[in-house]
Amino acid sequence: MEKPYILHMLTTAKNLSPFDVNMAMDAGWVSALPYTNVEASEVQGLVQDAIFSRSAKNLRRTGIFIGGRDTKQAMDMLKMAKRSMVPPFEVSVFADPSGAFTTAAGLVAAVEHELITKFNTTLEGKNILALGGTGPVGQAAAVIAAQAGAKVRIIGRQLDKAQHIADLCSNEFGDGKITITAGADANKAEYMKTADVVFATGAAGIELLSAELIASAPQLKVAADVNAVPPSGIAGVDAFHNGTPIRGSNSDAVGIGALAIGNIKYQAQNRLLKKMIHSDKPVYLHFEHAFEVARDYIKSI
Amino acid sequence: MKKRSILHMFDPMPNNSPFDINMAMDAGFDVLMPYSNVKLDSVYRLTQDAIFSRGPSGVKLTGIFIGGRDLGLAMDMLDTSKQAMVPPFEVSVFADPSGAFTTAAALVACVEKELKAKHGKELKDCKALVFGGTGPVGVATGIIASLAGAETALVDHLSIDTASDIAKAYNRRFACTLKGACASSEADKVQLVANIDIIFCTAKAGIQVLNSTVLKEARQLKVAGDVNAVPPMGIEGIKRSDSGAPLIHAINAQGAVGVGALAVGNVKYQLQNEMLKLMLKTDKPLYLDFREAFNKARDLV
Repeated sequence: MEKPYILHMLTTAKNLSPFDVNMAMDAGWVSALPYTNVEASEVQGLVQDAIFSRSAKNLRRTGIFIGGRDTKQAMDMLKMAKRSMVPPFEVSVFADPSGAFTTAAGLVAAVEHELITKFNTTLEGKNILALGGTGPVGQAAAVIAAQAGAKVRIIGRQLDKAQHIADLCSNEFGDGKITITAGADANKAEYMKTADVVFATGAAGIELLSAELIASAPQLKVAADVNAVPPSGIAGVDAFHNGTPIRGSNSDAVGIGALAIGNIKYQAQNRLLKKMIHSDKPVYLHFEHAFEVARDYIKSI
Repeated sequence: MKKRSILHMFDPMPNNSPFDINMAMDAGFDVLMPYSNVKLDSVYRLTQDAIFSRGPSGVKLTGIFIGGRDLGLAMDMLDTSKQAMVPPFEVSVFADPSGAFTTAAALVACVEKELKAKHGKELKDCKALVFGGTGPVGVATGIIASLAGAETALVDHLSIDTASDIAKAYNRRFACTLKGACASSEADKVQLVANIDIIFCTAKAGIQVLNSTVLKEARQLKVAGDVNAVPPMGIEGIKRSDSGAPLIHAINAQGAVGVGALAVGNVKYQLQNEMLKLMLKTDKPLYLDFREAFNKARDLV
């Protein structure tokens, strides 16, 4: 009998997300096991228990998923998991805390697609405001966009907190190869004068960008909102928008809503879960890989 | 790969019940995922995470089971889960905390059957007592019997206040007409059973609640049902497999019969199995609790 595909699902939270469980099952994993309330210090033990009980050949049928809520914690756990491997006893690991990495990948890939098709340009050199950008999705989106050459500013209600997150993104997630800046929500109007792109990744039901600010932006091209619950995070952009002109924009900007982003997110998460199964050698997957497969998906349609 | 059926099992306790796990597997679910220590306030988010990741065809292969030990909490969790649905992203939910809903439904249906067959009576013609009436099975039994028209009292072995408070709380919630009673001594029991038509015994396993001396005082008793499968039986003289056998110690109650734990258990088992299967078969999502369990139990007997 061929050994079944086993995915060990680790989370720092007290439960897994049913979303991730459904996704893992539908991607072809046969068994998913929950490990909840996992602390970083326990990762090495869990990983080594997972790798030493199957032959190297069958370890290809074994994987580790890292959930939770916190980006830094998940990235630390991913690194720790990688360090715990003892080749050839090694398995693939995929981190996607709160689904934030794949959501961010869907967001940035959708924005890039609109820039290419509607404005004949790319992310390179664009001014991006990440509104409500201090959360997990905002952080990952900022890093992905910056790695693609955009100039990203994370906007938060408190400047010091936004600055702290921006530094974390630049140094920790971007390995010091990118520079993400910070700004206070109170100075949004000023920043909108030079913004090409806006990401809205704040809490559900909070308007982060008003119709007046949309109208005041002279070079705004794309505004994307991950919030599916009304009122939308960006005035005039609803969940169904997918490259739809934003009413009131004086720069012919288009909007992307939660469903279009969610669709790409779904595809990206599905592809990464399958990549773990079909890869010949172990892979360590996070937001960068999520963006690659999100781009591939968009190219394929 | 064909999508498999997934049952997300939410439980407020530190562990899911192996009973429910076995039942769900045997009813045909392909994948079970346990979620433990689930608080009411996380049910909304967990439900939405479960419904949004499999598409409109996937939701038909996805279900939620609610366990635990607390009947009111399970009903609150069922309601919350129902409110979280976003049609067409909607899945079936089945609440059966401690198996209490299916056990109670089976018990009342078995008793009702004997009542008709041996005495030509309906529940609405009868006065009923539920011993062990303040535990999960007892409360559910009381609610079902009361809603079917029986004049029903929940009997606690320590406190009339406990029994009355619980009766009032569930009367408000389900528009039933339960009363509370207390039986802390043999004398209390003698007084309570004197002019009672039905006795349900749902007390702890291995405790004899009604002995021959008390049963002798019952003058109108028609049917007694006992869910205790661990000797000594809850009602003296009832055998586990009894299904309408004469109640030998109720010498002053003409034609009184008993229903034992295995007879009830057999119906309960089939009932829980059928309800789980129903979640997989149904075209539109179902919300299953003790009411549906009782309707189905009536069909089964």
